[in-house]
Amino acid sequence: MIEVLWHGRGGQGAFTAARLLGAACSFADGRYALAFPSFGPERRGAPMRAFTKFGTAPIGDRSAVEQADYVIYLDETLLAPGWEQELKPGGRVLVNTKRVFADERLVGIDADGIASELLGRPIPNTVFLGALAALCPQVSADDAKEAVRQYMAPKLHERNVAVIDHVVATAGEWAQARGADVVEEPEASGADLSPQDACPDAPERRIPTLRSGDLDPAVYARTTCWDGGYLVSRNAGWRQVRPVVDAAACTGCLVCYMQCPDGTVYKRRDAQAGESPVGIDLDFCKGCGICARCCKFGAIRMVNEVAALAEERAAQEGAGR
Amino acid sequence: MAVNAKNITNDEFFYGHKACAGCGGSLVVRQALKVLGPKTVCALPAGCMSAVGFNFPQLCFANNAMITPFAATAAVLGGIRAGLRAQGLDPAEYQVVGFAGDGGTADIGLQALSGAIDRNDDIIYICYDNEAYMNTGIQKSSLTPFGAKTTTTPAGRNAHGCLTNKKSLFEVVAAHGIPYAATASIGYLNDFIRKVERASQIRGTKYIHVIAPCPTGWGHGVDATVDIAKDVVDCGLWYLAEYEGEQVCGRTGGKFTLNRNPKEFTSVERYLRSQGRFRALTDEEVALVQAGRDAKWEQMRRDWA
Amino acid sequence: MKRFLSGDEAFAEGVRLARPQVISAYPITPQTVVVERLSEMVEDGSLDAEYLHVESEHTALSAAMGASATGVRTFTATSSQGLLYMAEVLTYAAGGRFPIVMMNANRATALPWNIYGDQRDSLALLDHGWIQAYAEDNQEALDLALMSFAIAEDPRVSTPFMVNLDGFALTHTYEAIDVPTQEQADAFLPPYVTTNKFDFQNPVNMGYSAGPEFNPYYKYYEHLDMNAAAEVIDQAETAFAQVMGRSYPGMIEAVDCDDADVVLVTLGSITGLARFVAADLRERGAKVGVLKIRYMRPFPGDMIASALEGAKAVGVLEKDVSFGAEGTVFTNVCSALQQAGLAVPAVNFVGGLGGSNISAAQMHGMFAALQERADGQDMKRVQFLGIDSVADELGGDFAQEDAGSAPGDADSEGEVR
Repeated sequence: MIEVLWHGRGGQGAFTAARLLGAACSFADGRYALAFPSFGPERRGAPMRAFTKFGTAPIGDRSAVEQADYVIYLDETLLAPGWEQELKPGGRVLVNTKRVFADERLVGIDADGIASELLGRPIPNTVFLGALAALCPQVSADDAKEAVRQYMAPKLHERNVAVIDHVVATAGEWAQARGADVVEEPEASGADLSPQDACPDAPERRIPTLRSGDLDPAVYARTTCWDGGYLVSRNAGWRQVRPVVDAAACTGCLVCYMQCPDGTVYKRRDAQAGESPVGIDLDFCKGCGICARCCKFGAIRMVNEVAALAEERAAQEGAGR
Repeated sequence: MAVNAKNITNDEFFYGHKACAGCGGSLVVRQALKVLGPKTVCALPAGCMSAVGFNFPQLCFANNAMITPFAATAAVLGGIRAGLRAQGLDPAEYQVVGFAGDGGTADIGLQALSGAIDRNDDIIYICYDNEAYMNTGIQKSSLTPFGAKTTTTPAGRNAHGCLTNKKSLFEVVAAHGIPYAATASIGYLNDFIRKVERASQIRGTKYIHVIAPCPTGWGHGVDATVDIAKDVVDCGLWYLAEYEGEQVCGRTGGKFTLNRNPKEFTSVERYLRSQGRFRALTDEEVALVQAGRDAKWEQMRRDWA
Repeated sequence: MKRFLSGDEAFAEGVRLARPQVISAYPITPQTVVVERLSEMVEDGSLDAEYLHVESEHTALSAAMGASATGVRTFTATSSQGLLYMAEVLTYAAGGRFPIVMMNANRATALPWNIYGDQRDSLALLDHGWIQAYAEDNQEALDLALMSFAIAEDPRVSTPFMVNLDGFALTHTYEAIDVPTQEQADAFLPPYVTTNKFDFQNPVNMGYSAGPEFNPYYKYYEHLDMNAAAEVIDQAETAFAQVMGRSYPGMIEAVDCDDADVVLVTLGSITGLARFVAADLRERGAKVGVLKIRYMRPFPGDMIASALEGAKAVGVLEKDVSFGAEGTVFTNVCSALQQAGLAVPAVNFVGGLGGSNISAAQMHGMFAALQERADGQDMKRVQFLGIDSVADELGGDFAQEDAGSAPGDADSEGEVR
């Protein structure tokens, strides 16, 4: 049995890809597949997972895949240290990225670029259907294309078939490419810091707090009554773009502060001249962009998260020297 | 002094939740709790805001908060108020507020809401109206407007989305003789905030119906939520109004007020066409929606203005 | 003080003595008198409680839950379809560990529509996480009203409690009972104190959702703490006896079971008739016993098995059937027997459905049938009284001589019952 673990964000098509792969791998007699998403309370934009299992015998285990033959990241911001724990020995990780990795288990493929070119939109999921057809002997390109024809809307057939053909034809280029890129630790900022501590320039305020520590069922599970404002996870991982405030342009009108659905814009305490009157809690900002859109003074722009992280790292290194 | 951007509390009571980026409903909850303050108890039925708001151990309310059965928002609110009153806690100081969606209010929760108004329970009931059952994946409710595509009112060859008109729940509630009811939109945040503040100062049952767009269900950009919520008011498909019951305004039968009565509306067509859910509407159907708007405004201007 | 009261009135007196702070209820026959009496008590000031006039049973229990979450003692009452209408909220209240007390007037469930007593309503909801007790007479009903709060609110238990009274046979039947004084009640039942409530110094979130990683632990502790109620029930009954001078025998009452060849297991008010007939048969030399189940949840399976250890045949009489299977009490009793390794033959008598009478003759017939079963006679495992039960024919001879006799012992102060 081959197991595939898809990482994406709600709305990116990870489950559609999982389903198309399952369909492709169960056309023939004697072939079996399961495809299913992870179910959680998180909404569009949140990291989510989907699974495909396929083989030559009926599959009875409907539980989530913990170690896969292929782990696919539709969004490279989700690739983080520890990725190898989800991989079976000999398995491959396929990442939607322009980067070229040093580790031969990691395969980068510019799925957004390919999709933008062939579909007109950066929807990366069928690129990886093609990539699996190229890499996995149990997946045929013809079956993958047939799955597209049977399970996607008719107007999408031609272009997605072209995507698969293109990816299979260029496999020699992307599958073997080796470079120097490695998977880095995410930025350390805010680790185990409450929203208050993570934003030292915010005013004193009552606000839900990040906590860590073991939760003992004998304590928590005897009632459904627990500390209000008890947070254990951030929302930073949802974001593909982030707001950046231009201090010079910001007038402190606070419209962005009022309109933020997540409350992540705050009034800065003691903002000095030349500093922005508002700050943004990047641990919890989801990057919706309402703040940038409502700003009449053009003082907030949304910048690409990956680029912003790289810039931050460069700045830190610069400061280190 | 009225609550505004400068003087509103720095506290955040609804934070770290897992709502979609650009969620209108979460802005409703956030702002209402900021107005009402730390001594507020809130209750939320099964629905988006409870699903994204408190999933142990991620508990995103910094104030006292509780989940309710889907149909029971107003019922649980009434019980909470009774429990606080039994302990001598002053309702002017300790607010009890509920946040339920359009389905949880206009459909399954309507009976309990009606019962609470009948008892005149001292609660604020806020309906964040995103015009469909969003928590379960965009199904039609009785507040889904004509022409909106949902997963149970698909747009196809035979129908172009929802075939029924949006129920006028504000008027249904007002007909109870409730002390205070209002409509609002997160596109007019200051108006909404003023109404929440006003509700907190009135004793008895209060109802605020606030339009809260859902980018996922409506098919608009995640950054457009507030603009769309403003546009729906500006084009006249939603209105900002208040109802004061006899016990508040002193007038027999109570009093309706139109808070905004524009001389000219912006384009209904532009509003509809800016959202994926109305994509299948024909020009004739758009004209029908516009005619419905005009008829409604004629009645409101005649009776309320 | 001795008073002549119906079961509903007796229960209302018990609730008044328990000093609930919030009552929220919706009327339904045959529970109605309880809410009428409580409304009068609130109106005349003899009960200082918030009374919520709700528009449905769903709201009745939801509001009770909201009130309980503020840390006050809460009460509701219902019956039959009303209980089923609030069924969804039963699991909320139980999972939230809100120690609400509810009186349920046992009544048939539709269709056909029927307002009379049977136990199909509450037994259908055994799995919803509530403690379930069944009263035999009005004294026990009133006493359970007081004890239920003590047991439900005990921090080791913190679980809602449903007290069941047979519709009409108890709710609308008058008998003399002892009503404790408020001083006695207060001495027995302290005010409700809990940490499972809103807190304005350190706010809490209550009744949230919990995913697969956490959910099983909540259910595990719900189970453990429900089982812990067994010990708390004993302690409550001991304390009750000290204050009131009236004692109860725990989760079951075994009447002459020690040397009995055949035992009839009963639930609720029908026990009175079973006691009477069994005593009569004993006088004639028949070794018969009665086992009254007082609590269906937590289920006293070990106690039941232990009481039935020497029996050669066991009957279970219940006003319930799970269609396509057997009576639910029977299923539970058989499970207890099986777990104890007792291979005693068992027969299920389904009777009293829709308020139909169970006569003394039929009661004799059931004991006679069990005697035959003990002697090796084969018979149907599930028998409907008055329709296809061998008890109907076997009891025929007793029909005449039993006419006019009344079961039950109204003046039972100081006795173990």
